[in-house]
Amino acid sequence: MTPKLRLALFVMACLCSLPAVLVLALHMPEFGAHPLPYGDAIDAAAPGERHISNMVSAVNFDYRGFDTLGEEFMLLCAVTGTVVLLRGSRGEALEARPGIVKGRRILPRSDAVVLIGRLFAPLIMLFGIYVAVHAMTTPGGGFQGGVIAATSALLVFLGEGYSGWRGVMKSPVLDALEGGGAALYALCGFASMAIGAPFLTNFLPLGTLKDVWSGGLMLVENAGVACAVGGGFVMIFLEFLEETRTKKGGTKK
Amino acid sequence: MSILIAALLLLLAATGAGVVLTRAPRRQVLALSVNGLVLALLFMALQAPDVAFAEITVGAAAVPLLFLIVLASMKMDRSPRPPDEP
Amino acid sequence: MNLLPWLVAAWLLGIGLYGIVTSRNYVHLIGCLAVVQSATYVLLLAAGYRWNAIAPIFYNHPPGTPAVDPVVQALVLTDVVIGATVTALLLALALQLNKRRETLDPEDLRPLRP
Repeated sequence: MTPKLRLALFVMACLCSLPAVLVLALHMPEFGAHPLPYGDAIDAAAPGERHISNMVSAVNFDYRGFDTLGEEFMLLCAVTGTVVLLRGSRGEALEARPGIVKGRRILPRSDAVVLIGRLFAPLIMLFGIYVAVHAMTTPGGGFQGGVIAATSALLVFLGEGYSGWRGVMKSPVLDALEGGGAALYALCGFASMAIGAPFLTNFLPLGTLKDVWSGGLMLVENAGVACAVGGGFVMIFLEFLEETRTKKGGTKK
Repeated sequence: MSILIAALLLLLAATGAGVVLTRAPRRQVLALSVNGLVLALLFMALQAPDVAFAEITVGAAAVPLLFLIVLASMKMDRSPRPPDEP
Repeated sequence: MNLLPWLVAAWLLGIGLYGIVTSRNYVHLIGCLAVVQSATYVLLLAAGYRWNAIAPIFYNHPPGTPAVDPVVQALVLTDVVIGATVTALLLALALQLNKRRETLDPEDLRPLRP
């Protein structure tokens, strides 16, 4: 199929579906003024039933906790696929020399970059842990906090260079963090079944509203998600950054 | 219709078109970053701070970084040939 | 302009698909896929919005204040993070493709040509 034929088919498909899109847009409920029954039911019930003030976390970890289990295992599968693709073809050895592009010098790191990396990497990791822990009271949660903490690993790479970074980020630790986080979430569900209740029932003491340690089983699930997301993203960064190193002999391959 | 939400929606349509119409991958990375930032601002205007948190980190830091690493690694793979930009 | 959010979502979907159809570089194609994903985020969050309502966090406001829909926010939140991971997987595939075939042009990578 030539590119022109493909583009012509696409334009025809767009023209055929354009009336449908317009009719649909005209018949959608009015923006901002239509009833939201499911959302209102959760907003009314959740602070009293579950003692937490972040409704999005309540939906994510309690009312629709089973969907989040599926999402977390989707993340595990995607990270595993990336690692298998990249580590499988490259091997597990650490390579000491950065890859070379003909005609471009490798510059030494400047002192400003090293200073900013050393100052801000711990601060950003602390901020990520803060966002993850305060899932039940203020905007935040395991997903956001995990990604923010993973971003601090990049500052470690920029500030310390490859050898310092690989000294801190060991692959077995990250594998355990990611797999352990996903397993913790699944174990929460099975723990509920062990006492006779349905899967992922909130059986731990719920605490008081507006307290950081409220929510019961949601705290454990949140910690599992934060570990899995943080570990998964740092593993992805690690595998991709390993791709820019050379084998012995100078250029790649 | 609030002016802020309408302006952000139109800006998002423009940056989305910018991502697609920037054909060179090295320049598209910056367009992706700007798109992520505008998307996060739109999420804040639609009263969704949780989602804006995730989108800022992912859309402006993690995904453009992965793109840049992949482009650098591919350039190293092809370095025996003279470099040419699409 | 009551239709603006739905039309912007449809526009993003359409132009993202146009980018995928006419792309000459697989890395550019993955960027266009990200634009298509953002169309769904806009649609979901606009469907859950309510005028003059607060975010669904009842820390500074008493429970019972009108708030926007938390269900669609939960959907979009997990989607954003998982979408980034899937983008990483696609980029790893593009990297391996480049190693084996030395090119990233969809036109040069037809399967049945020698």
